[in-house]
Amino acid sequence: MNEQHPHEIGEGVMKAIREGQVHMRPRWHFLLISALSVTGACIVLLTLLYVTSLGFFFLRDSGAWYAPSFGGRGWFGLLYSLPWILIVFVLIFILILEMLVRRYTFVYKKPLLISVVAILAVVLFGGLAIAQTPLHRMLMLSARRGVLPQALTGLYGRSLREAPPGDMYHGDIVGMLGNGFLLVDEDRAGTTTVVVTTQTRLPYGENFSVGERVVVVGDMVASGTVEAFGIREIDEYPSDER
Amino acid sequence: MSAETDEQIARRVQRGEAEAFGELIERYSAKLSRYARKFLFDTEDAQDAIQDVFIKAYENIQSFDATRRFSPWVYRIAHNEFVNALKKRKASRTVFTFDIDTLVPHLAATDTADSAALERDVRAALEAHLESVAAKYREPLILYYFEGMDYKEISDILQIPVSTVGVRLARGRRMLQEVAGKDQHLI
Repeated sequence: MNEQHPHEIGEGVMKAIREGQVHMRPRWHFLLISALSVTGACIVLLTLLYVTSLGFFFLRDSGAWYAPSFGGRGWFGLLYSLPWILIVFVLIFILILEMLVRRYTFVYKKPLLISVVAILAVVLFGGLAIAQTPLHRMLMLSARRGVLPQALTGLYGRSLREAPPGDMYHGDIVGMLGNGFLLVDEDRAGTTTVVVTTQTRLPYGENFSVGERVVVVGDMVASGTVEAFGIREIDEYPSDER
Repeated sequence: MSAETDEQIARRVQRGEAEAFGELIERYSAKLSRYARKFLFDTEDAQDAIQDVFIKAYENIQSFDATRRFSPWVYRIAHNEFVNALKKRKASRTVFTFDIDTLVPHLAATDTADSAALERDVRAALEAHLESVAAKYREPLILYYFEGMDYKEISDILQIPVSTVGVRLARGRRMLQEVAGKDQHLI
């Protein structure tokens, strides 16, 4: 085998450059790639924040977010109600974001686990913060009025939400009874009688009134009647805004 | 050879003095040839890869930030080319896949200089048994013991955490120790 001297390799490269077979890419080419890469990373991050906040919004809107205050049974309700489609989407997009930013020194100098956890923390806290704003509530109201584009309207429908567990109910109180109240159940589109017993867990008191929005965990004891294991007010969506 | 730094020459090339690139080739061709030969073994592959490294370096020189060091930049290009060359070889197709070492944090690696005797022993063992060490561990060993780079430079070339460089060097030395035999003390 004929081994070329390093000098000959250099000559070959310089000859190719002189003859115009090899061209230097212009500076703007790299600036454009950098700009596209940063823009792509920003779009992915914003998408992640939006989707994560949408997930938190779904949990709060369904009352599942508040159910853990009833104890283990409430925690089960929360886990059951987690929007798994959105969670899978978020995990995939976190990996995409990680791949987009991996070439930057401040990312590759850290172990993968640390950068992924950092991105996850930003996404979770950012998503939680956005979920506190009226953004999703306004978009959901607009979707219900039919003034949003179809693609966005679909996001606020039922397809991305997990159905609640069989023992979880949420909706507006439409009438008070001696030992409970009447609830318009949003998931089952009907009226449910909620019975409060001495065993019912009421972490935030029992002063419920008509128009309030609550989450109830309990067992169906008769047709349309639920004996409440726990009840809690969902405090952020006054009925007049729905 | 001129007293100009690599970065000054690179800046001239960026300004359009294509001939100045010859100076950079002259400065790096021997080093990169050594790196390629030790990493790839196959001389023909190595020569092709070096030629590609210089062509890529010229094509992409406008992406080089002349306020930073030229050496890690050109070695990074070389690393990519050599890894691609290894991947092309059927038997080594799975050499560089997902690496668990870069996933979890390790204790901070210490970039302490080995004693001259130990360094000489490791170099000798490397010369004799380099092919027995997996490519993933072989590369940092070459960069550290033959190219004289420190952990941070290797970390920039391989784009892995500094602590992972330390882990790979330690594992590479351990592999080498196993191959070289108990009579040699390399770790």
